[in-house]
Amino acid sequence: MSTNLERLVEIALRDVLDPEMGRSIIDLGLIYAIAAAPDGSVAITMTTTTRGCPLTGFLKEAVAFAAGAVEGVTGVTVTLTYEPAWEPAMVAAE
Amino acid sequence: MPMASLSRWTMSYFAAALAFLLAAEALAVAGIGYPAAGLGEPATLVLVHLVAVGWLSLAMAGALLQFVPVLVSRPLAFPQLALPVLAALAAGLILLSTGFATLAGWIDAPLDLLPLGGAALLSGLTLLGLMLAATLLNARPIALFARFVLVGLACLAATAMSGAAFTTLLSGRGGWLGHVALLPDGLPFHALLGLGGWLGLIAFGVSYRLFVMFMMAPEPPARGVRPVLLLASLGLGLAFAGLAAPFAGIEPGATWIVAALIMLVLASLLYGRGILALYSARRRKALEINMLASIPAFAALALGLALLPVAVVAHAGDGSIAALVFLVVFGWLGGLTLAQLVKIVSFMTWLETYAPRLGRGPAPRVGDLVAMPRTGWWFLLYYAGVAFGTAALAMEATGGFRSSMAIGLAGTIGIAAELVHIRRLSQIKAADRPPAHERPRLFAARAEERRPDHVHTGTIAHPRA
Repeated sequence: MSTNLERLVEIALRDVLDPEMGRSIIDLGLIYAIAAAPDGSVAITMTTTTRGCPLTGFLKEAVAFAAGAVEGVTGVTVTLTYEPAWEPAMVAAE
Repeated sequence: MPMASLSRWTMSYFAAALAFLLAAEALAVAGIGYPAAGLGEPATLVLVHLVAVGWLSLAMAGALLQFVPVLVSRPLAFPQLALPVLAALAAGLILLSTGFATLAGWIDAPLDLLPLGGAALLSGLTLLGLMLAATLLNARPIALFARFVLVGLACLAATAMSGAAFTTLLSGRGGWLGHVALLPDGLPFHALLGLGGWLGLIAFGVSYRLFVMFMMAPEPPARGVRPVLLLASLGLGLAFAGLAAPFAGIEPGATWIVAALIMLVLASLLYGRGILALYSARRRKALEINMLASIPAFAALALGLALLPVAVVAHAGDGSIAALVFLVVFGWLGGLTLAQLVKIVSFMTWLETYAPRLGRGPAPRVGDLVAMPRTGWWFLLYYAGVAFGTAALAMEATGGFRSSMAIGLAGTIGIAAELVHIRRLSQIKAADRPPAHERPRLFAARAEERRPDHVHTGTIAHPRA
């Protein structure tokens, strides 16, 4: 059940596009983890391409918004991390 | 609502900077300054300072006010000083230019305008240095790129203080300096510290960080970047010593200039290698206009800086030196600044307009704000003007230089118009533009309506060095 919810959240996050590349934050490797609990609460761990990225606040909010809109999700926590730091090798091949 | 870390007055700095560039180019087209006048003559000094202080320094200051807080993840220190600094710099430059115009005999005004302008510039630059240095020093440990900016700011201090001293000498009120021969011996070092240290070294340091972001390239290894800072600092240290030498009764000659230049050439060689590596290791395959239009700038740096020490050693004469300095200033610093302005303005405009829509439906990409390929053609025109202008100066062809500057001016007007189009969202379909009262204003970001949010101290446990 929760694995299925994680999958649905991942699909929803594919609609959050990076404004520079026009690619989803999933493809860019910015989402490190999605964990759904049986009660429908979802914990997302994400990063940004650079520390202090001016978009950070907007990205976090967009992720929370997109995940929260998935049916069955009761709550979303988005945690920002820089461990490990994002690197270009994390981008999925085009 | 999350907020963008937008520097409110950066657009005003850019607008003032472009206005000074256009004025300088128009004066050059009108035949004012070198080569019609001598290199050290007041008419040339008007042009040189319109470009170095008005155009390049204001653009650099505007960009740093936006990017230094972003790059160190700390809020800008003393943000309320941004507008007074801009006013002091613009007023200082206008007073300085009026003083030079008096020296040139174009107008009849008191020569005291020169030290007055010098003092206004010195105060504006001191406050600017205070804002930037305090922001950088708030973030510990001090990152490598921040050290580039700090050394650059030290060079700016030396440039501004020596410049202020020159203005008192030129106004005939330099008696307090005694018999110290600051002019003309100090001039090349004043120029080296300003162009090489404040503008050049900071462009080096900031470009490492920004190009990594713009091209999605891996961080350059510190072992490749540190020697660049070290060599450049040595060269700039020599330039500073050359400036101070007259106080010790030493007359620094051409050898001293060449030694400083060689250090800067070596630093630039290593820097060029690093930038080449960023371009080739980039993850973002299609180059955007800012990165494409930076390529001729790097070529200008390579050619100009490699030949400059040769020209000084060979006593090649004013024409060749002027041509090479023009190539470095208009080709490298000017070209790079114009190219990156397109990116910075479009990114800031996107942030202001579309960032709150992120993840809530389709929104234009940052690149959609720029009119392509039209913008590219303007850059072609600008660089053609620079290339012809360099050749005309080397051949001491006054008429040829004026025509070349007209081509460069046309390119600059085109690029400035594109920047206005970006602010006005001209490339975006009417349906995707926000209502008129929410659109970006031309000269100031709507930063005051948003809470600054570039500080994520709660989530940044271990700032990276």
